Amino acid sequence: MGYLRLVHSAPPAPTPESACLTAFDNDLDYIFATLKRLGAAPYEVEDLAQEVFVVLHRNWRSLDTDRPLRPYLFGVAFRILCAHRRRWSREIPWGDMDADNRVANPANPEGSLESKQSHALLMAALERLPMSRRAVIVMHDLDEIPIAEVARSLSITRFGAYARLRKGRRELATAIRRLSRGEATA
Amino acid sequence: MNRHAPRLAPELDALLEDGRVIERVPDVVRARLLSRAHATVAAVAAIRRDPIPPVRRRSGLTLALAASLALAIGAAAAAATLRGRAPSPLPPAPSAIPRTDRPAHDSALDIMPLSPTVAPQSTFTAKPHRSTRSATAQESYAAEIHLLTRAQVAYASREFTDTLALVAEHGRRFPSGRLAEEREALRVRALAGAGRTEESRRAAAAFTSQFPRSILLPRLGDP
Repeated sequence: MGYLRLVHSAPPAPTPESACLTAFDNDLDYIFATLKRLGAAPYEVEDLAQEVFVVLHRNWRSLDTDRPLRPYLFGVAFRILCAHRRRWSREIPWGDMDADNRVANPANPEGSLESKQSHALLMAALERLPMSRRAVIVMHDLDEIPIAEVARSLSITRFGAYARLRKGRRELATAIRRLSRGEATA
Repeated sequence: MNRHAPRLAPELDALLEDGRVIERVPDVVRARLLSRAHATVAAVAAIRRDPIPPVRRRSGLTLALAASLALAIGAAAAAATLRGRAPSPLPPAPSAIPRTDRPAHDSALDIMPLSPTVAPQSTFTAKPHRSTRSATAQESYAAEIHLLTRAQVAYASREFTDTLALVAEHGRRFPSGRLAEEREALRVRALAGAGRTEESRRAAAAFTSQFPRSILLPRLGDP
């Protein structure tokens, strides 16, 4: 009868499950954006977001509801993506292979920073950062999460978070300069 | 907050400002993900309420035995072919899907049933081609699945009266259907869930005599 168990629909969900689903729905855009910023390929974002939900659902009852949810979601997404990379690093090239081509040949090279490609440029530059520093940059500089919360979510010290932020910003600026000049490789 | 971090260059700051925009997930993707999330919640709830019993290991063993048997039959057929005896089509691999179009058996498989849910296949007789199966049989099977799925949903929701009604309907429409074994097992459990202990016991006894080798037998006592 196992196959029947697979296809039966949901029984009436109790309140914690409903709250978890609502929270997931509310922050789905953020989860997608975070996964993309961390370098997830478009074809894998949806499955990774589902994994984020599974973890969220598993830990929902033990979450501190007084704290903001997004730093926690970021930490979950970060760990899931890292584990995913470790699993598939031998089979799948890391990062978006088209990123260099997209940014190295902009339609309007002179005004690239102000153009519509600025977002793609930022994403391509972020891809050149190691995951540990990219996570801090995304969390602090893009999501504007306080560094103490960043350190907590990534399970690192506050000093370590600041160190990654400093170095990451330098690397990001370098990557943006190189990409803006049309250098395909760092 | 940034006393330990360098100040951002203006152009980098502008770029980051642009990158802070969060795009909305397309509605179709959102709907798909929420559907998967709902399914996850339902599956977890079902597992908590109805944990998978250790009989799974026995099921694996049964499958392994079935695979071994299929290999042995294949080897025997190959040997017979090599010896120049009447060539015959290779026997199909045992399928985990119950079938109704069970042809008459003329071999040792008749006395060695693989398992109640693994229907014995024809051994050296020609298997009816897939395209020759009537659409009616497939529709009937689909209707059986649909009906029993509804019964399973009702059981999972602990609506035992509805479950029994659906099981009875299945019994009326498909008295010797392909899912009769699953139906009867569900009837036993639904009766037990409804507190009709004596009827449940009688149904369990009938099930045991009708399906003595069923892998569902150990589950009949589950809540």
